[in-house]
Amino acid sequence: MKKHILTPSLRGGPGRRSNLTLLSLLLLVALTSCKKNIDVKIPDYVQKLVVQGSIETGLNPEVYLSYTVPYFGNHTCSLSDFAVKGALITITDGSTTDTLKEVIPGLGYYYKANTMVGVVGNTYNLTILLNGKTYTSHTTIYPVVKLDTLWFKVVRDDSLGYIYTHFTEPAAPGNQYRWFGKRIGKDQSFIAPLGSSFDDKFINGKSFDFAYDRGVIQNSNATDDNNSVKGFFVKGDNVIVKFCAIGYDEFRFFRSYDANIISNGNPFAAPSNLENNIKGENVLGVWCGYSPFIDTVLCK
Amino acid sequence: MNFSFLKHILILLMVFAFAELNSQNYSISGIIKEKKTGELAIGATIYIKELKKGTTTNNYGFFSITLPKGNYSLICMYLGYNTYSDSVVLDKNQTLDISLSQLGGDLQEIVVSGERPDQNIKSSQMGTVTLDIKQIKSLPAFMGEVDILKTIQLLPGVKSAGDGQTGFYVRGGGPDQNLILLDEAVVYNASHLMGFFSVFNGDAIKNVTLTKGGMPAQYGGRLSSVLDITMKDGNNKNFQVDGGIGLIASRITVQGPIKKDTSSFIVSARRTYIDVITKPIFKNTEFAGTSYYFYDLDTKFNYRINNKNSLYLSGYFGRDIFQFKDKSSGFGVQTEWGNATASLRWSHIFNSKLFVNSALIYSYYNFSFTALQDNFEFKIFSGIRDHNAKVDFSWYPNARHSIKFGANYVFHIFIPTNVSARAGETQFDLGNVVKLYSHEGHVYAGDDWDITDRLRLNAGARMSYFVHVGPFTRFVKDQFLKTTDTVVYSAGKKITDYNGFEPRLSLRFELTKTTSLKASYTKNYQYIHLASISSVSLPTDVWMPSTDLIKPQIGNQYALGIFKNFKQNMFETSIETYYKDMKNLIEYKEGSQPQDNVKDNPDNSFTFGKGQAYGAEFFIKKREGKFTGWIGYTLSWTTRTFAEINGGKTYFAKYDRRHDISIVTAYELTPRWNFSAVWVFNTGNRGTLPNSLYYFEQSVNVNYGGRNAYQFQPYSRLDVSATFTPDRNKQLEKRRKRIEKRYLRKGKDFSTIVLPKGYAKNFSQSWTFSVFNAYNRHNPYFIYFDTQGSILKGDFKVQAKQVSLFPVLPSVTWNFKF
Repeated sequence: MKKHILTPSLRGGPGRRSNLTLLSLLLLVALTSCKKNIDVKIPDYVQKLVVQGSIETGLNPEVYLSYTVPYFGNHTCSLSDFAVKGALITITDGSTTDTLKEVIPGLGYYYKANTMVGVVGNTYNLTILLNGKTYTSHTTIYPVVKLDTLWFKVVRDDSLGYIYTHFTEPAAPGNQYRWFGKRIGKDQSFIAPLGSSFDDKFINGKSFDFAYDRGVIQNSNATDDNNSVKGFFVKGDNVIVKFCAIGYDEFRFFRSYDANIISNGNPFAAPSNLENNIKGENVLGVWCGYSPFIDTVLCK
Repeated sequence: MNFSFLKHILILLMVFAFAELNSQNYSISGIIKEKKTGELAIGATIYIKELKKGTTTNNYGFFSITLPKGNYSLICMYLGYNTYSDSVVLDKNQTLDISLSQLGGDLQEIVVSGERPDQNIKSSQMGTVTLDIKQIKSLPAFMGEVDILKTIQLLPGVKSAGDGQTGFYVRGGGPDQNLILLDEAVVYNASHLMGFFSVFNGDAIKNVTLTKGGMPAQYGGRLSSVLDITMKDGNNKNFQVDGGIGLIASRITVQGPIKKDTSSFIVSARRTYIDVITKPIFKNTEFAGTSYYFYDLDTKFNYRINNKNSLYLSGYFGRDIFQFKDKSSGFGVQTEWGNATASLRWSHIFNSKLFVNSALIYSYYNFSFTALQDNFEFKIFSGIRDHNAKVDFSWYPNARHSIKFGANYVFHIFIPTNVSARAGETQFDLGNVVKLYSHEGHVYAGDDWDITDRLRLNAGARMSYFVHVGPFTRFVKDQFLKTTDTVVYSAGKKITDYNGFEPRLSLRFELTKTTSLKASYTKNYQYIHLASISSVSLPTDVWMPSTDLIKPQIGNQYALGIFKNFKQNMFETSIETYYKDMKNLIEYKEGSQPQDNVKDNPDNSFTFGKGQAYGAEFFIKKREGKFTGWIGYTLSWTTRTFAEINGGKTYFAKYDRRHDISIVTAYELTPRWNFSAVWVFNTGNRGTLPNSLYYFEQSVNVNYGGRNAYQFQPYSRLDVSATFTPDRNKQLEKRRKRIEKRYLRKGKDFSTIVLPKGYAKNFSQSWTFSVFNAYNRHNPYFIYFDTQGSILKGDFKVQAKQVSLFPVLPSVTWNFKF
């Protein structure tokens, strides 16, 4: 819970809500409560397409395409239950167009361009053709915004801590950001902690410190995601921080994504759906251009 | 504003009122009190046997009835008190102050006269229930804490929000549509501990009246109901101390005369001690310093200057305080919220026909939250402050008319969510402290008029005016909710104003002596609004005035009912049906986040719509005897339609509940043992649940379906309680024998020992044992989706889980009085 307080509400608000949740949960725990498994019959399910698309400076654009699945009760499922095959995905920056390919042919889901790479200042239009329907979006890669300094600070048990940074926010208003972390040798990919995205509504032009905890992949079975290390960096970790400038609609999406995650299981939160930046019928998701500032922190 | 209409009504009323002046009439007026304590009797009935006419006392115990010259038998009835009767020779205006003695008291056998109050049949009022605090106290209480708001939820037409909620919904209206008054002061947040307890301490309360339909003209400002709570005045005969020790809280009330029969005071305090209990648990953990408690303090002072003038000063102050500390990370939270009210009232009897009450009232609610870690600090605060002045006249020109008129003016200061945050020396830009100022005014008049012996009409109207004034900054938005401009209004500048004309009509037709038909129509304007981003009421909910974006809520209610009493008014029964439409209701736009309120206007995140509610309420009540109680059943529907919610499709409100049954019983087995039980059953609440799952960034999350499309399992619960009042004489006898034995053993003469006399005489005690949720039903509180495994590994599972709040919870409370 502490993590939200570190940059309370600056990061798009789950902070405030979680504090209330914390407060209420403590009260609930103080009183007795119980839970049980139930069967629910949910009406009006409509299948939707889910788009997770990104283009980052210097990298090929990639799109992960999946379908929503209805609440299916108590049996297991795998990626193939979600994966979308055979989509025609094209990206154009106004002058060149590239078509994305299925990385593992036959599986679907993961589509990537081979030649196009993200360039700061460019706007990229995404078009997805699937089963006769078209879905479109556009995103821009904004100039890099740098963090001044980064360091590790122990906050618990002499060895567990967060990554701190000093940040001087640019004077002009209208910036949005998203934070990722990756422990070298431990994490397979960059992981965004909850509340990874924030805008400059309250911090425009300010110079200040803030901190992030370690993002954890859902239901991860790694040892340090299931003990007291969960959510913390440890002395000895070598962490790559990726701090990206993103667009406003993209920020709204990630803000709603966090709210959506928090709303499940929280009796005090309003049910919150995603604010998408993809146009089309029955579609969820985001097409986001990332402009990263990258630095490495040795935790000591 | 069209005041001329109101003037016409007033003139018309006067014409009717004076129409009967030409015959030779005199009036009897007076104050009715409780004999033992001098407490004013509210709603006592005065009945003239020969004319079959009656009236009731107002909130100040005052009554007046005007009759032709003659000899009459006057009867005064008040529930729980011996009936008073007297013969009156009426040849001049008379004052008759009556003191009523309590039933039971000294007499063990009560001779009940053939007359019992039948106000429910006679009154033109419908949709109104009055509860005596004794009645409320006789019912099982959650964790031993007597709770007025939980008791009124057992009445038909009133719905609870569920376990752990004091919020209530009346006839399909929202929680902000209930006007809660404590000695005429508005209480904005009536709950402690996230809604588990209400702020009203049963020991300081005398009377509770709920009006859920057919609202008379003297009330307004809310669409759905008025809960009018009157505090005790304080015993003006003797000093008295009452108290109780319960599982989670203790209470003490001290009252007594300042000058006998002239002035008195009451001070009542309550505090929880969860923090005291949990302190040792947290002591050696990293959470030392974490605590929660609430307290409240009710005080009242009254001074009867002379026969015609009385002053009342009452106040309430309550606070919830929550602290969280995590030593190892240096993280701490301090949250405080609470209400304060103060009212100074002066009641004056001009003459036997005209009574006036003037009041100055202050109401205050605030919420604050502070979080600290290292050099980060984060604060939120919000609140509302009201300054209110009002004057209310009761005029009884003749036996057929009872007229009420008056005016009030309120200056509101709203403080919606204000946030400040800093990291070290850097103060974040969260905008200036936002306050919104508005003025609200009302004038009203209403006449309760016996057109014929069988037909009574209560006709009235209320004119209301509301203006939002500067200083104010409007953040202008584009379609993507980005701020494009700001408009600044200077202090005192009018920004928007609204006015409303609110007719109120109710009609009673007596079919037989024990049966009447009633119909009513009311129109209400509501200028202040509660916006809740969460799906339940929280202290963080923000009160907002009507602004250029928020129009006043307007409601129309039509009701029709039949009332019948059986067995000489032993049983009251009624069926009431209602239809209500409401417009300009507010909700947050989908996807709104709490921080949208900050450095912005909260109403930029609002969206507006309409609502509808209809239903039927069935009620049967046994008022007297060893076995008392009621059964209430409500069949109802309520829907909402907002262009920007649920894709514009009409949806059921969260508290749409088809069936709602409450059975409330109390049984007096012996004077020592009393039992009571409450059983409730209702259709489950509605909620918005996920209808599908999506996969994004290695995480499977939920996508919500239609607004309130899911209906939870039905709710049901049985609470039982037993109160044991030990026989004081028997106990004293035992004690005497014990002491005697001891002295005999020591060879002393017992006859020289005297027990303290006062202690023996006045001390009384009782034990209340209660069980909440006696059959341990797991009522749904919320549902969430639990996931396990990973879809990449193919072992992903999802399971819906239902969380229930309270299992079977026994409690015991010890009460004392001396």
